[in-house]
Amino acid sequence: MEIKTLPIAELRKLLAAVSDHGKQHLIEVEADLLQTTYLLSEAIEKLSTSFTAVHEAVCEQQQVLDALVAKYAIEKPVLEKLETFKSKIGEEVNVAVTSLQFQDLTSQLIARTIKRVNGLKDLLHEVESHSNEMDPSHEHEEIVKFLEEISNSLQVGSHALSGGLRRSVGQKDMATGEIDLF
Amino acid sequence: MAKTILAVDDSGSLRQMVAFSLKAAGYDVVQAVDGQDGLNKAKEKTVDLVLTDQNMPIMDGLTLIKNLRELGSYQKVPILMLTTESSDEMKAKGKAAGANGWLVKPFDPKRLIEVVQKVIGS
Repeated sequence: MEIKTLPIAELRKLLAAVSDHGKQHLIEVEADLLQTTYLLSEAIEKLSTSFTAVHEAVCEQQQVLDALVAKYAIEKPVLEKLETFKSKIGEEVNVAVTSLQFQDLTSQLIARTIKRVNGLKDLLHEVESHSNEMDPSHEHEEIVKFLEEISNSLQVGSHALSGGLRRSVGQKDMATGEIDLF
Repeated sequence: MAKTILAVDDSGSLRQMVAFSLKAAGYDVVQAVDGQDGLNKAKEKTVDLVLTDQNMPIMDGLTLIKNLRELGSYQKVPILMLTTESSDEMKAKGKAAGANGWLVKPFDPKRLIEVVQKVIGS
């Protein structure tokens, strides 16, 4: 098949389809990320409430134990065992408090990802929006102009995406962070 | 009388963990949800220490510190940053704004208390 003219209409159709298809995927990605955010928020709220309630109960239990130890003659091995439990609970509470900070980190990462998804949606919209009518007598010039416009839009969009989204969470695990006193 | 610490963070769960840790060590804790809220609460009552996040809506941590340092009553009050940010560039900005220390999240309660005690005492 001999092509006498540039397949501009087909090119536009392809770009519009790519844009539309990409945006549909990104809409789903954004919806999943938002759902994850809600689930994590609800989980952390319940975990924190339960953690605080368990800690308060353990503290009250410890007060009862302390009163019993003061009132009755408890054998030394039992006292040592109670101290070991107390120490172990304290260590685990510290680990739990550190771990329960996960939502602060994940919510920042998810928010950043959602901004990137929206940036990509804007880029795809730009690809689709360059659909002005072309003058058939100046096909080559028109397609060059068309491609330049898309290229410029992508460049501006990419710059905005990389510039406005500085990485604020570099943590790879929930190990405690460093401390500097000035 | 217990010393009072202002904890500023937009994350409710983080504020809860900070308050839990500090209260267990005997400190009173005032909570604020962002820099502006922190500034308002700091003006209502001068606290002994400010512990603030960096990335927050409305007003970030560095801006809060700059605003606090302009208040006469906060020129010598210790201010610590507690943030996910860990770059040397951000730490330098914090120091320039008037922060006295930088703690990277997540924090360990025991180490947080050690730092607070070192800065303002028990």
